[in-house]
Amino acid sequence: MEIIYVLFNIAVLALIANIGLALYGVFTRPSLVKKIIALTIFSDTINLMVVLIGFRHAEPNPVPPILISIPPIKEDIITFMQKAVDPLPQALVLTAIVIGLAVILYLIFLTIQIYRIYGTTDVRKIAKLKG
Amino acid sequence: MITLEVYYLLMAVAAVLSTVATYFAVIERDLVKAAIFSALQSSFYALIFYLLMAPDIFLTYVPVSVGLYTALVLILIKKTERYEGE
Amino acid sequence: MKSRMHAAILATIIIIVVVLAMAFALKGIALYIPPRNVRTLAEIFLNTTFNQWVNISAMAPEAVTAIVWDYRGLDTLFETSVMFIAIVGALTLSRGVGEKLFISGASEAGGLSVIVKTITRIILVMISAVGASIALHGHLTPGGGFQGGATIAVAPMILIVTFSVYFIVKRISIKKAVLLRSAGLGVIALSSFIVLIVALFKGGIAYIFQNQVKMFSPYSVPSYIGDSLVIGGTLLLFNAAETFAVAFGFIALLILITLPEEQFRKIILESEE
Repeated sequence: MEIIYVLFNIAVLALIANIGLALYGVFTRPSLVKKIIALTIFSDTINLMVVLIGFRHAEPNPVPPILISIPPIKEDIITFMQKAVDPLPQALVLTAIVIGLAVILYLIFLTIQIYRIYGTTDVRKIAKLKG
Repeated sequence: MITLEVYYLLMAVAAVLSTVATYFAVIERDLVKAAIFSALQSSFYALIFYLLMAPDIFLTYVPVSVGLYTALVLILIKKTERYEGE
Repeated sequence: MKSRMHAAILATIIIIVVVLAMAFALKGIALYIPPRNVRTLAEIFLNTTFNQWVNISAMAPEAVTAIVWDYRGLDTLFETSVMFIAIVGALTLSRGVGEKLFISGASEAGGLSVIVKTITRIILVMISAVGASIALHGHLTPGGGFQGGATIAVAPMILIVTFSVYFIVKRISIKKAVLLRSAGLGVIALSSFIVLIVALFKGGIAYIFQNQVKMFSPYSVPSYIGDSLVIGGTLLLFNAAETFAVAFGFIALLILITLPEEQFRKIILESEE
């Protein structure tokens, strides 16, 4: 069990480092397009961590939540319940991906409109213009 | 024979490589290269989604993040500026 | 010089991650380990997703699609509406600009060379076939409505790049694409009422978003034909309508973002005066 603990901890800590880097990119970089790219990375990492909670360490190997035999007998359903991963976080993350896509799409259109009216996408120069 | 340690090893390798890609995407000042690094990071995330036994999310994530986001951000860069200012 | 500094910072981050992971594991506590048994709620979902001896079953072998369209169907209806509101917001930002202004002086001879155009015509049909297959099998294998719609939406993007945008504007205008998108949303909202309307005609009780037989209402959309052909009840209608709606929504957005810039700037700057 030791090796599995170390490898899984490496994955979780690398994802937390990703969150930190993406937030640094949103706060300190002055270009609007770079802020949009970093916001995309941040929301994708959060979705990945939600799916990570639903994983299951089943012996000998875990199974995606899809029944294979049609129509099933009672032993099939009992084996399925002991080996399949959690299906509820996956359904919630599907909704979250679509809503994130809608918000970023609208932000892209807003950035094009800002460039047409003010002529620049640098946040410091827009702050000096004062409308 | 695929044992359970192979899953965890591939997950750890893909997560560390995605951290490398994120670092270069945030630091880079040429915005076209930053968009390409963001697409590379999305493909590593798609591999982790497959290893976590979530095929529905994998089928949603690949065309949305590698195909549509990258194309829309490249069109956005073409219509505004290419290099990040000082 | 700068690249050496970047490589040093990156190596420091990775070494901190690995050392912290080993320190957590050796001390006996772990940040998070995957459990051996899932929660009780997940066991209820896995037990009743295709079970003919329980009376709240959804009769679909795929647990995630059954949760998305049957157990929690109202969430998905409003998620589709949020996508529609984003399209409305993008259309509002470009009011006063119709695509008729652009067609007047443009010809259709443009784009990349003949080889690329021929291969694009072949690949277009293949992408549409793969997308339709993913969408219509959503109740049996991994797939579903949004997955198929996003796959089909890659095809008009390739068309706009290899041919020109005027090639598509002459065949589908923005208004027609938004109209078809609203029609898809209307079909989704209508097929959540089907069982209710049928039950009210026959004088019984039914619920909204009802798919199979529930405790007090014996009406359902058939999910089995014969012995082993699974249709999936209302899940098939929902998946097909969602694919149609998502594909046409993306066509409207892609046309709007790839129209050229000079006319936009003229119209917006002269309405700023």
